[in-house]
Amino acid sequence: MRHNSSQNPTGPTSRSYPLSIDHVTKNYDGRAAVDDLSFVVEPGRVTGFLGPNGAGKSTTMKVLLGLASATSGHATIGGLTYSELPDPTRTVGASVEADAFHPGRSGRNHLRILADATDIPLQRVDDVLEIVELSEAADRRAGAYSLGMKQRLGLAAALLCDPPVLVLDEPGNGLDPQGIRTLRNLLRSRAAAGDTVLVSSHLLGEVEQLADDVVVVNRGRLVTQGSLADLRQSASLVRSASPGTLQAALEREGGIVETGQPGTLVVRGLSLDEIGEQAFRSNVALYELSRHTDSLEDRFFAWTEDTADGGPGSNTEEEL
Amino acid sequence: MNWLRTVRAELRKLTSTRMPLAFLTVLFAIGAATAAAVVFGTDMDGSKAFLSTAADQQSLMAFAGNALLIAGLFGAIAVAREYGHGTVVLTFLATPRRPHAVLAQLSASFIAGGVLGFVGAAVSAGSVASGLTATDYTFMVSAPDLLQVLAASTLAGGAGAVLGAGIGALVRNTGGAVTGTILVLLILPPLAVQFAGGAAGWVPNTLADVVSGVDGAVGVGAAVAAIAAWAIVPAAIGLVAVTRRDVV
Repeated sequence: MRHNSSQNPTGPTSRSYPLSIDHVTKNYDGRAAVDDLSFVVEPGRVTGFLGPNGAGKSTTMKVLLGLASATSGHATIGGLTYSELPDPTRTVGASVEADAFHPGRSGRNHLRILADATDIPLQRVDDVLEIVELSEAADRRAGAYSLGMKQRLGLAAALLCDPPVLVLDEPGNGLDPQGIRTLRNLLRSRAAAGDTVLVSSHLLGEVEQLADDVVVVNRGRLVTQGSLADLRQSASLVRSASPGTLQAALEREGGIVETGQPGTLVVRGLSLDEIGEQAFRSNVALYELSRHTDSLEDRFFAWTEDTADGGPGSNTEEEL
Repeated sequence: MNWLRTVRAELRKLTSTRMPLAFLTVLFAIGAATAAAVVFGTDMDGSKAFLSTAADQQSLMAFAGNALLIAGLFGAIAVAREYGHGTVVLTFLATPRRPHAVLAQLSASFIAGGVLGFVGAAVSAGSVASGLTATDYTFMVSAPDLLQVLAASTLAGGAGAVLGAGIGALVRNTGGAVTGTILVLLILPPLAVQFAGGAAGWVPNTLADVVSGVDGAVGVGAAVAAIAAWAIVPAAIGLVAVTRRDVV
C-alpha cells in the first residue's frame, strides 16, 4: 500500500471528531457482550483496541457505527450518534467485516457501489485502489482475493471518502509485512493530520508499533486505557536484600506487588520516591530501583488474566 | 437526492454480478420452450387449435405469472445474499437510516424485476410470433393487447421482485428466502383456495392473468391493487424487521 495524503474530495471539513463510548452495554440472549463500557478515543491519536477473542471489540465498533443497537448507554462520534451524522460516510471510514464482499463482484465494482451511494466521483475509486495497491486486481472477482487483498479492499472502502475518522476491525489480519508497514504509516499519518483512528487488533506487536493509546477490554468490560507509553512504564522494578519485608511494606501503602526474578519485585501504584521511602523505613537495602518497561504482550496478558480470574465483576481498572 | 443515490448504488449491486445474466438465460430458455411448443405442440386431436384465435395466442404469450415467480426469486436471492455476504453492512453504513436504505433496496428490486418481467414478456411474444411462422396461423394479437401483456409482465415482475426482496430481508438466508418466496407464490395460494373458494380470483397467478387480459375473474384495477398488496405486505414486514434488529 502506498501512503497518500490525497485531497479530500468532499471539500474542507472540521476534522476533529472524538469517539465516545459512554456506559455502553450490549446483551445477546441475556449475556453481556459489552458490559457498561466507557472510554474516549481522541483525535490526532492512533488508538489500539485490544482484547482477547470475544472480548467485545467488534460489538463495540458495531454499536459505534449504528450496526447494532446498545442495550443501554451511548456511542457517539463528535457528540452525535452515527445515524445523526449529517454525512456519515464522509465522516467515518469503517471496515468491520474482513470478507464483506460479494464473491462474484469485482473489487472495483464493490467500491463503485459505495461511490454511488455517497456521490463520490468514480475517479476516486481508482485513487484508493492505487493507495492500497490493488489496481491490478481491481477487476477480478473479490471471491478470488486472498485475505490480505480483502483487507486492502476493505481499507480502500474506508478511505474512499477521505473521512476524518477511521474505525478498523483487525485491519492487519492477512497482510504481508510490507502491507503491515504501509498500513502503519498510513494510519500514523492520518493521526498526525488530526484524524481519529481506532484500530482493533489482537496482533500485539503490530499495535505496539502503531498505537499512541490503547484501550483494553476483556469479557466486555474495560480493563485499562491510556497512553501506551504510560501503560508500559507504569511499573517499577525493585531489587532488594529482603523482598518479603519490602513487599509487605509496599502492599500496606497500597502498592500492587508482583514477584519477579529472585529478590526482585515489580511494583505498580507507587512512585519511585514512595518505594524508596518505604524501603528506608523498613530498613531494607535496595540494590536496584528503576522504571520497568513491560512489553505490550506482557502487559496484555497481565490485564486479561487479572479479569479472567474473577470475571467481569472483578474488573480492576488500572490507574495510570 | 440521497435516496436516489442509494437507489443507484442498489441498482449497481444488482447489475454487477452474474445473477442477472443467469436469470436472463432462464427467460430465453422459457422463450425457446414456448417457441418449440408453438411449432411442435398440438391439441389432443392433433390440431393446432390452441393457436387459432387472438385470445389463444395472447394467453400463450402472457408472461405475468412467470414474471411474478422469476422476479420474486431474483429479489429474494439478491437481498438475502446481501445479508449472507455481509455487503449489506456497506449499505447501512452509507445510509444509516434503515427505512431509507430498505426502500431504496426495494425500489431497485422493483426496477430490476420490472425489466426482467418486460424482457420475459417480450421474449415470450417474440417466441410465439416466430413460432407461428412455422404454422398455418398468423400473429393475431392486436397492438393494444400486446402492450397489455408487456405492461402486465413488467408490473408483475416489479411486484414479484419487491415481494422476494421483502422475504429476503426478513429471512436473510438465501435458501430460506427462495423457499419462502415459493411458499408464498406457489404453495400457499392453492391451499388458501381450498379453505376459501372465493379466494381463487385473488391468488397471484390468477391476478397476473387478469392484468394480462386473459382472465376476467376480477377487474383489472382491482387485480393491479391486489398484486401490489401481495408485494407490499412481505416488503413491509421485511422493512420493519430490518429496522428493529441489528444489522450484524
